[in-house]
Amino acid sequence: MLFEKVQQIIMELMDIPAKDITQETYLVRDLDLESIDFLELAVSLNAAFKIDIHDDTIFLRNLRLYLNEALEKTIQPKEFLGRKYPFLSAERIQQVLSDLEAGPVIKVKDLVSYVQWAGGKKKAA
Amino acid sequence: MLTLEFSGRRALLLGGSCTLALELAGLMITAGLRPVLTYRRGQGRRLIEEYFAGRAETIELAHLDVASETSVADFIHQMDQPPDYLVDFVHPDFEALVASADSSSVRDYFNTQVGLRSTVIQAVTRQMLTRKRGRLVFISSTAAQRPNAGQGFYAAAKQALEALYRNVGLELAGRGITTVTLRPGYINAGRGERYLEKGRGAVLKKVPLARALEPVEVANVIMFLLSCSATGFNATELTLDGGLSASK
Repeated sequence: MLFEKVQQIIMELMDIPAKDITQETYLVRDLDLESIDFLELAVSLNAAFKIDIHDDTIFLRNLRLYLNEALEKTIQPKEFLGRKYPFLSAERIQQVLSDLEAGPVIKVKDLVSYVQWAGGKKKAA
Repeated sequence: MLTLEFSGRRALLLGGSCTLALELAGLMITAGLRPVLTYRRGQGRRLIEEYFAGRAETIELAHLDVASETSVADFIHQMDQPPDYLVDFVHPDFEALVASADSSSVRDYFNTQVGLRSTVIQAVTRQMLTRKRGRLVFISSTAAQRPNAGQGFYAAAKQALEALYRNVGLELAGRGITTVTLRPGYINAGRGERYLEKGRGAVLKKVPLARALEPVEVANVIMFLLSCSATGFNATELTLDGGLSASK
């Protein structure tokens, strides 16, 4: 259900058919999203799900900075990223770490995870 | 004859209790727009209420103190629908020689005037993005371009805000959101009026037009800038000073 809503938002925003947007689709590598598209995506997700969107977090913007910070502080990257991105599972963080060389790692499923996590936080509050 | 047309209705006026904002709100009501005037203190609220006595239903009021993080957060939280227009009149003075200003006051001034204000600009433009429509007019000052002694921090804050508004127009015009900055010179209102009274004659000698502008003249220009006819003025600054800044 969440995925379908996120898929719909991306479809409308980027004018892309649904079949090209799966959980595993990369937002930059596959769909060529640019910074202005990410901004619109954040605004649309906020409006659709009534949740606060922290752009840097949901779009994994500081990923490489965090990896450097983990290195400086001699903390395991997996553990450090888990703290910074609490909406990502340990399995997903492992995937991210092994996928960095190929370019921007963010996928549609990361947005879905964020929406789910932020929605849970809102309910708890 | 030029007829002004407007693509939206709801207009947010930051710093809504100043003379220019009140004048503009009056023109907006006549044009069928719905002004939402922000005020910082009870005194500002009373000024607005007195100005619109007998026609209170034509406006809305909202509390916003751009110097308070809590107030900015509350204001953003309470914004239930995107405005079609934003006119930013907020301009607290900070007069001090650069070499003698208190450094913590300087930090506070920039933190609130630039830092917190950018939070408001961000929230408003994100709301406008949901409709892909919005027009923002920032009321700067000729001091941004040609400050007098003692206006260094004021001018720097104005220039910083001009840059932010300019970039909003640069980044979001393709999504229907445009911006323009107006730099008025001497006006017979508020701080400008007090300054003119102190040095009457001498100050106006510097103005080729040989007079200060009336608030209604400036408000009419802002109405034009908000209208559909002026959308081409995007991500830029316009000077309205009777020629003051063109002369030596």
